[in-house]
Amino acid sequence: MFSSRLFSELGLRLGLGIMGSETHGMSQRGGSVVAHVKLGDFQSPMIRRGTADILYSFEENETYRTLKFLKRGSVCFANLEDLNRFNRKVLNYLRQRDITFRAFDASSAALKIGSIRSANIALIGFSVGTGLVPFKYKDVRYVLERVSQKKQLSVNLKAFEIGIQEGKTAI
Amino acid sequence: MSPKEETRVLLGNVAIARGIVEAGCHVVTSYPGTPSSEIVPGVVGFKQELGLNTYVEWSTNEKVAFDNALAACMTGKRAAVAMKQVGLNVASDSLMSSAYTGVIGGLVIVSCDDPGPHSSQTEQDSRFFAMFAKVPAYDPSTPQEAKEMVKEAFELSEKFQIPVLLRPTIRVSHAKQSVKLLPVKSLDRQANFEKDPDRWAATPRYRLMLHTRLNKALRKIQERFEKNTKWNYEVGTRRTGSLGIITCSVSFSIIMDILEETNLKDTINVLKIGTPFPLPQKRVADFIGRHKKVLVIEETDSVIESQIIDKSKVLGRLSSHIPLQGELAPEVIHDILADILKELGIVHKEMEESPDTKLDKLIESLDLPIRRPTLCAGCPERAAFFAIRRAIPKAIYTSDIGCYTLGLNLKAVDTVLDMGAGITLASGFYQSYHQDKKDVAIVATMGDSTFYHSGTASLMNAVYNNARFVLVLLDNEITAMTGMQPTPGLGITADGSEGRRIPLEELVKGCGIEWIKTIDPYDVEGLISLLKRARKYSQKPKGGIAVIIARHPCLIRYPEACIENPVRVEITDDCNGCMYCIDYFECPALLMSEETNLVEIDRNLCTDCGICIYACARGAIIPV
Repeated sequence: MFSSRLFSELGLRLGLGIMGSETHGMSQRGGSVVAHVKLGDFQSPMIRRGTADILYSFEENETYRTLKFLKRGSVCFANLEDLNRFNRKVLNYLRQRDITFRAFDASSAALKIGSIRSANIALIGFSVGTGLVPFKYKDVRYVLERVSQKKQLSVNLKAFEIGIQEGKTAI
Repeated sequence: MSPKEETRVLLGNVAIARGIVEAGCHVVTSYPGTPSSEIVPGVVGFKQELGLNTYVEWSTNEKVAFDNALAACMTGKRAAVAMKQVGLNVASDSLMSSAYTGVIGGLVIVSCDDPGPHSSQTEQDSRFFAMFAKVPAYDPSTPQEAKEMVKEAFELSEKFQIPVLLRPTIRVSHAKQSVKLLPVKSLDRQANFEKDPDRWAATPRYRLMLHTRLNKALRKIQERFEKNTKWNYEVGTRRTGSLGIITCSVSFSIIMDILEETNLKDTINVLKIGTPFPLPQKRVADFIGRHKKVLVIEETDSVIESQIIDKSKVLGRLSSHIPLQGELAPEVIHDILADILKELGIVHKEMEESPDTKLDKLIESLDLPIRRPTLCAGCPERAAFFAIRRAIPKAIYTSDIGCYTLGLNLKAVDTVLDMGAGITLASGFYQSYHQDKKDVAIVATMGDSTFYHSGTASLMNAVYNNARFVLVLLDNEITAMTGMQPTPGLGITADGSEGRRIPLEELVKGCGIEWIKTIDPYDVEGLISLLKRARKYSQKPKGGIAVIIARHPCLIRYPEACIENPVRVEITDDCNGCMYCIDYFECPALLMSEETNLVEIDRNLCTDCGICIYACARGAIIPV
């Protein structure tokens, strides 16, 4: 939910219309949680399968389940402990559809700074570092500072910067 | 001072709250229920931000909320009441009656539907309730539209002196959109109830007059809706075509995006209906007249479709073109449209792309574990359910609506019907078995908030009619599943101010229960022996219903109070992979290792509650 807020505020900052959807209630008690964010001139809050430009996946099994949303030529950032364990056939499939797939062990990076919760932010920082997303460092950082709760701010910024560095050096 | 016009990204429900506040509404009541729960906190937020005098109330149930709001309207003030769609069932008695007696100040009822369903017992369509009750309905497609509709709903309500329904679906209520904030109206009205017993206390003879008046008002409202172009309008470059689409709410938004993406905007005209009842018949008939075929696509049911008089050209649910159940997700709508275009012989390249079954098959072959909802690691209700299964293993377990419904995973929940049925089904089961002179063990579980909602009438009936069972009230001191709302047990009101506390023990005693014990469910062994005593009491000739109040703070709401004494545990070599703890304790932090086939602890999820120590018969889980 935090990531979805982050991108919504980012859209606002960039002067883009924002439409998005979240899941609440029973679906939050450990079931999968998917948030859709659309920046630009859109009417409906849901992303139809095969039309997403960017996918952020914060957990391995959910990655498999949500790949269907990606369109040809899109990009996916996945929080994976070990890319070598990821299914080869699926990776091939992604390659066939010109989908750029970047894995990053955001959970370990977050644990190192003592906050597993900031893994999502580390992954987002990673994506910005790779340069594969149309979001500028200064814009994302500005929004991150604005939406973070005061007591989480320094940890969030640390996680973000770690992600940025990893993204820059990733192949 | 905030600027006169500001844009903010708002959740749909918060946009509705903003609309309520911008309309100068005086009173807002509600009972929490997904997907409506964020409306009251939204109003409280604006109240505090802008220093407003709005009266905001978490009521004990939806009928109570409705009546309290209605009373304000009878004094001339504006009121709004919010609930989820099944909550409208609870409030329906008042809704039906108040359609006849009407209002003075505007009354807007917000009933949030849940196509899917994502978090409800039914996929019912609240717009049908508007039709049934004979009140007008508004159906928003976006948060921004919902906000503006609220304000018009209040005006319509006052002009025709009739309650008005706003029906957002979950994809509007939980959508986020950049929304334009407008200045908040300040309506200076003093409460003034003018006596008019012919109206407010109408007996059947007068009810007939009121009904006649109601029908006249509906006809005038329909004429209004015919002329409305703000919520009912056409999108398209041509006036005619082989296929037209009549749609509403999120389906409209999805269709607009699909037509844009597949280049069909110049081929297919769309008529959006934002006021589904009473249906602007002339507008609809005119649109249908200009097309060869018309697809009527709406959620969750066929409210618009069923009102259309001449259906000869209509494709919809009634013609089996649209599924009768389930959410109309973008993929579903896309496929429906593709099939219809094919059926009508309309060739369109972009719609002919086949769905990506290759990926679906690949993912299916991975056999991914299904993530089901589960109680949090450390949840006191898990401890309670585990104890119940151990103490009274062969019982009928009647339960109710809340986080604790997830006791299903511990095989400690056999029935979930609706609010209060945990107790009513228990007494009903008892009477049926008792009629055959059979003794059956029944353990009913119910949460604190649910008990305040519907427990007392259920329990009094059970006591009065001599039923026998064990009732465990799971008191985590909050309304948890819907997002941590306060209860009368806490004595805190919607805006954080002090209300009066009503202790559960007093309430249960007041229902005639003589055997009440309170215990902390973390004391699993204590609870097991207490449950056994409770069962015995319920079987004694001079006994009765036994009530145990299992009280322990919710983990999410009160993390420090919940895990007051953290106990780090570990799994010893005595584990033989029998999976008893996985099947009957079902903590998400206990996992079967694929490598060793033994149980291990996921330290990221474990909250050190230490309760799993009781879950292993071999004693393989020990404190460190």
